[in-house]
Amino acid sequence: MKAKITPPPHCTFEPDDWERLARHWHPVARAVDISNAPMKAVLLDEQLVIYRVKGQVVVARDVCPHRGVPLTLGFHDEAGIICPYHGLRFGEDGRCNRVPSSPDQAIPAKLNLLTYPTEERFGLIWTCLAPEEGATPMLPQMPHWEEPDFQQIVCPHFDIAGFAGRQVEGFLDVAHFAWIHTETFADPENQEVPPYIPVETPYGFSVDYWSSVSNYSAESDKQAPEGFQWLRHFEMHLPFTATLTIHFPDAEKLVIMNAASPVSARKTRLFAPIARNFDLHIPVEDVHAFNHRVFEEDRLMVETQRPERLPLDLTLEAHIPADRSSIAYRRGLKKQGFGEFFLV
Amino acid sequence: MQTIEVIVDALSRQGSKNIALTLVSADGGPLPSWQAGAHVDLHLAGGLVRQYSLAGDPQQRDSYLLCVKREAASRGGSRFVHEQLRLGQRLTLSVPRNIFSLQPAEHSVLMAGGIGITPLLAMAEQLDASGQSFELHYYVKTQADVAFRTRLHQGFRHGSCTLWSGCEGHSPRRDLPPVLHQPEGKRLYLCGPAAFMAHGEAEAINRGWSADRIHSEAFSAVAIPASAESAEGFTVTLSSSGNSYFVPPEKSIAVVLLEHQVAVPLSCEMGICGACLTPVLSGEVDHRDTVQSQAEKSCSDQQIALCCSRSRTPELVIAL
Repeated sequence: MKAKITPPPHCTFEPDDWERLARHWHPVARAVDISNAPMKAVLLDEQLVIYRVKGQVVVARDVCPHRGVPLTLGFHDEAGIICPYHGLRFGEDGRCNRVPSSPDQAIPAKLNLLTYPTEERFGLIWTCLAPEEGATPMLPQMPHWEEPDFQQIVCPHFDIAGFAGRQVEGFLDVAHFAWIHTETFADPENQEVPPYIPVETPYGFSVDYWSSVSNYSAESDKQAPEGFQWLRHFEMHLPFTATLTIHFPDAEKLVIMNAASPVSARKTRLFAPIARNFDLHIPVEDVHAFNHRVFEEDRLMVETQRPERLPLDLTLEAHIPADRSSIAYRRGLKKQGFGEFFLV
Repeated sequence: MQTIEVIVDALSRQGSKNIALTLVSADGGPLPSWQAGAHVDLHLAGGLVRQYSLAGDPQQRDSYLLCVKREAASRGGSRFVHEQLRLGQRLTLSVPRNIFSLQPAEHSVLMAGGIGITPLLAMAEQLDASGQSFELHYYVKTQADVAFRTRLHQGFRHGSCTLWSGCEGHSPRRDLPPVLHQPEGKRLYLCGPAAFMAHGEAEAINRGWSADRIHSEAFSAVAIPASAESAEGFTVTLSSSGNSYFVPPEKSIAVVLLEHQVAVPLSCEMGICGACLTPVLSGEVDHRDTVQSQAEKSCSDQQIALCCSRSRTPELVIAL
């Protein structure tokens, strides 16, 4: 049954902006974390239940159609998830397949869950709350993910008490390495940002950023050859998913997807799939830990920025040449019609 | 930044709008080595510094070859090269830097728009010398614009060269290299006007190229403070009040308006953020910002960055 498309009660977004955001795919969980048991997620203030049944992933509103209890309080068997209040069971496509109090009655469609479109890509479960009539939104792309010599790693999600737009802008920012990421990879002395130009694309924009900032971790004894120029290739898929391909020496590449899922206007759940064609002997837990440290370094900045949302009105903040990506990002959002969701 | 002293050893016309410079080391020794795609900072008179790609064969260490297009809206660099540079003149260069280098591929596709031929010609030379397969596509408005015609006519042993002329109906909007339909194992290198590169990249992505196999280089236009480079002033008129103000060559529109207590929404003051973009009702804008895309700068509903852009017409009417 098709979900009715209205912003949830107590929504932290303006209704217009909510509808615009709800047209896009957003990640809501790591695929590996979704089993037959009902799992909770919140997207754009909407409470969701996610579960697998006979291999199929279902994303639905976390409300039992019968008496409104969250299904994430319930449990499951082989045929679906079970509401703890009256034992109603929901299986494939969110259809109600058992009403224990009247087992011989046909089950009306009204008892089916409100489900949303689901995609499993890049080790994540994606959903779209309100696809536009007749227009399938594009799922963001990730370079190299499917290529045979690349390892696929999906970091555990990382929760941030801040707005997704601010977090994404921080991911695109190339001027903060020398100030924030000095414990993990950056050189505090290397502060200058060479010129770079964002190029508009059908999905947002892309940037080739060349600099001498190394991406070897601070603990690594590896050194790039003298004068090596590091290419960081960003692709911004509006509104909240960006990928970064880092070109290391010797054709080694690391791709990280920064998929910021907007829990609400004040909360973000960050998902980070990673693909790399080197260091394959290093345990993935070390990769998780390293990236966790990088995200942790960013946390204080993103959680304390004011205004809390992202001023699409460029006169509200000051801009410097190193900000070309963030300016392109805000202009891109503005062009998509986002409006008042930036003023507190 | 390490610099080298060079002497202008030859100047030659390369098509109707370009001049090629052959530069040799002032001390007669070999020049620092470089790889295709590299550029140098050329220090010109009056403190001007401009970046130009090296166009020749990277294996040649006795001279550097640069090619400079005459820009109608020159900010001083191309005008100096075209009007004042003389044979035997000494110049200072940075050592070559490369942020646009060739990456390994089974086949390289080089797409040049206009003066964007310079780094791609060097790439063609380097690929040819190392026996790697490639094809060069060179887009020009008219045949008269073709630079390095003699070299291109000689051809390459391991690659092909195709000329596309817009006047003959072969613009990149209509004709893209057929090879774009087969992205497997290939890399695409684009150099030329921003709109040309954006179009090439978007079309390649539509045909299944992954963005990380598309490489392009744009020299960022340095935002220029309004300086005495535009020879004449003009009048700016506000549609709300009908008031007109004269904007002299040495002041920006924003400065003039602020002097007259007109509120201007300024932020970066260098044409990179778009905070002061204001709709234009009449007159022709001389766009000097780097925040609007080529498409925005050439569409019918124009906006002007008041902090840096100017007027090509005696009067500009803006929606303020």
